[in-house]
Amino acid sequence: MTERDILMKQLSSYQFLVHDLKLYLDTHPNDRATIEKVNEYTAKLAPLRDKYEKLYGPLTTFDAEKNRWSWVNAPWPWENEEVE
Amino acid sequence: MFVYEKKLQYPVNIKNPNPKLAKIIMSQFGGADSELAASVRYLSQRYTMPLPELKATLTDIGTEELSHLEMVGAIIYQLTKGLTEKEIKAAGIDDYFVDHTLGIYPSSAAGVPFTAAYLQSKGDAITDLHEDLAAEQKARTTYDNILRFCDDPDVKDSIRFLRQREVVHYQRFGENLRILTDKLDEKNFYAFNPEFDKKCFKNQMKKNK
Repeated sequence: MTERDILMKQLSSYQFLVHDLKLYLDTHPNDRATIEKVNEYTAKLAPLRDKYEKLYGPLTTFDAEKNRWSWVNAPWPWENEEVE
Repeated sequence: MFVYEKKLQYPVNIKNPNPKLAKIIMSQFGGADSELAASVRYLSQRYTMPLPELKATLTDIGTEELSHLEMVGAIIYQLTKGLTEKEIKAAGIDDYFVDHTLGIYPSSAAGVPFTAAYLQSKGDAITDLHEDLAAEQKARTTYDNILRFCDDPDVKDSIRFLRQREVVHYQRFGENLRILTDKLDEKNFYAFNPEFDKKCFKNQMKKNK
């Protein structure tokens, strides 16, 4: 795994945690313990996103204003770099 | 609105091409119980849902299914990348190749193109939630069947993640169905269509008396 893969895995792990807990909150919107967990993991996710975007390029087209080149030219998610 | 994130929900990193395996996995891209069918089904059904919990769940799961569609596409792409004409012929995917070359086209393993006839938006929340529960189980069985023919650890890893999400979504839809029926007349859930008929929820019925 490259450094980029490792950072992506950390970022995706927290993002997935938040996503799965939010699915639960769709049916239990007042569950305080779950809301606290979402806040905790969201706080951990934010700096990882910033770090990833700084090093490897924007994750959304809205984040791409300062780095349009990278949005277009950095590898797309279905591309497996190591093999190429 | 939707905003694209330039990442996969879960990594797909396949080292060895395997066109035969790509062909059977194609069913989860554009077959009857595919991620595409799931996404279109949930994102269509949500508009007329009678409770906010159901609208939220269908929106969020329907969106997640789009991420799964992207992952399945990535698996097929990586399994078929750089094949020669000889390898295509030997794997028996020349029938796919003649129509799509190595482009990713939504169809079943047997080559049947995707159709909206695979899914329903019935305008009745009880009916639609039962379809959604069934859809998750059908997709789970398809992933189980794919795993029977898959000995590549890279592919297995991604497919197992997708399979697990079917189980989680099934749980979420089950809770949605419970929330809905809890609010309806328990003597006869089917006396009304909760998306169409007025005053079929318990709180509204009390006001009526």
